[in-house]
Amino acid sequence: MAVLENKISVRNLCKTYEMKGNSHEVLRNMSFDVRENEFLVLLGPGQCGKTVLLNILAELEQPDGGEIVFAGGRPRMGEIGFVFQKYALFPWKTVMGNVEMSLKLRGVDKETRRAAAQEYIDMVGLSGFEKALPKQLSGGMKQRVGIARAYASEASIMLMDEPFGALDAQTRYQMEDEILRICEKKKRTVVFVTNNVEEAIYLGDRILLLSSRPSSVKEEYVVDLPRPRKHTDPAFLALRNRIVSNTDLNI
Amino acid sequence: MKHNKDRILSMLLPLISLGLFFVLWFWLARAEDSMIPTPYETLLRLLEICRKPISKATLPIHIWVSLRRVLIAFFCAIVMGVSFGVALGWNRTFRALVNPIFEILRPIPPIAWIPLIILWCGIGELPKVIIVLIGSVVPIVLNTYSGMKEIDPLLLDAGKVLGAGRRQLLWEITLPATVPAILAGIRTALSSGWMCVVAAEMIAARQGVGFLIVRGQESGDTALIVACMLVIGVVSMLLSTVLIKLEGVLCPWQFSKTK
Repeated sequence: MAVLENKISVRNLCKTYEMKGNSHEVLRNMSFDVRENEFLVLLGPGQCGKTVLLNILAELEQPDGGEIVFAGGRPRMGEIGFVFQKYALFPWKTVMGNVEMSLKLRGVDKETRRAAAQEYIDMVGLSGFEKALPKQLSGGMKQRVGIARAYASEASIMLMDEPFGALDAQTRYQMEDEILRICEKKKRTVVFVTNNVEEAIYLGDRILLLSSRPSSVKEEYVVDLPRPRKHTDPAFLALRNRIVSNTDLNI
Repeated sequence: MKHNKDRILSMLLPLISLGLFFVLWFWLARAEDSMIPTPYETLLRLLEICRKPISKATLPIHIWVSLRRVLIAFFCAIVMGVSFGVALGWNRTFRALVNPIFEILRPIPPIAWIPLIILWCGIGELPKVIIVLIGSVVPIVLNTYSGMKEIDPLLLDAGKVLGAGRRQLLWEITLPATVPAILAGIRTALSSGWMCVVAAEMIAARQGVGFLIVRGQESGDTALIVACMLVIGVVSMLLSTVLIKLEGVLCPWQFSKTK
């Protein structure tokens, strides 16, 4: 068995929306593999169907055609972690209540799930904020809760939909380092969607560049720069230029 | 500085407007062929009925009688309205089946039911309670239903990816997310219920604030009428204040002002 076996195989995925008589083809023959425990970045221009793709992977939406094969069989709901761009925290739940949600839904008893959730709250650096409500937190802290909530499900696959897209630049850099530290600590297979080239190179083991709509995989880049990466490193910049010149403009 | 000025203004302006209200009232009441009592006469009458019973009851008792009718109906309305609204919002078959009937019955003013209800239930406590119930259940149903319809789909997605089954989506995600809308409905329901009880009592009752108004009309006692009108307004205001406080306690994520 190879070390990097395919965790997810996506084959010929198609998705078209019908809106007011117009049809919008979003995905056309999208195919790629996600390897076990890698940090895969899907990089694409705005509106190119990245979110739709993740929603299909998470079974929130159904594809019109194609198939997705998971190593070890189709995970059930709750066995894939999802981090939303707009956090999607439950506003009536405290930080603890949000993070322990997946365990609660699974029927884990209170003491066990509190202890498990605490570990992830500590992991994202929110110790002391267990009883805070989401509205009392800053954007960066909200997304830390989002990440802790996704990880607490103990899912082996993490889907992240532009998780730092709503944050200001400074917080964004912080959170990028944060997510790398977390991935180092808790090995998971991560599929990370972004429209930001620097973020993609800074984070990814591998980058799949998507074309604009109807989107498919345009190019694959293996990022073999050592971590921590530097935005000013010549190799970083060279890769950035290669990717940018190959990116479709979003009109 | 500016902040301070705003604070003073926001405390002063209500006093000014209340003062103007009483001055205007006094001025109208003093006109030669005026039908309305002056504020002073009203106050005297108010104090008098607090001590001297009308129809075997002092004013506090009358208020309590009306309030009890409202509260009984109100709690029934919460139970019935919330369950009905949730069923409308959650079950498509139920909605298709029941919504047309509800849409026809909904616009009928609760007061229009009074004659029929009296025919069916006589003139005891029950008919008043039923009329208040009709008046207060509708806003609760409407708010619950629309709260469920307008739930952020992202929260449902979050629930699904965290592994919530359909029942858990309802109990753990949809219902808590709908609580603020339900509470808003409850607040409307309480004030509409209070209006209905006065109307119901004006038609057939031996006690209650509505009854007092009718008594005032029959005996040409305008001071009594106006005193009762004031009481109705103040009670309604107090009820609404209590509920607003309660909302802050029940869903701090929505109403309380922490940051």
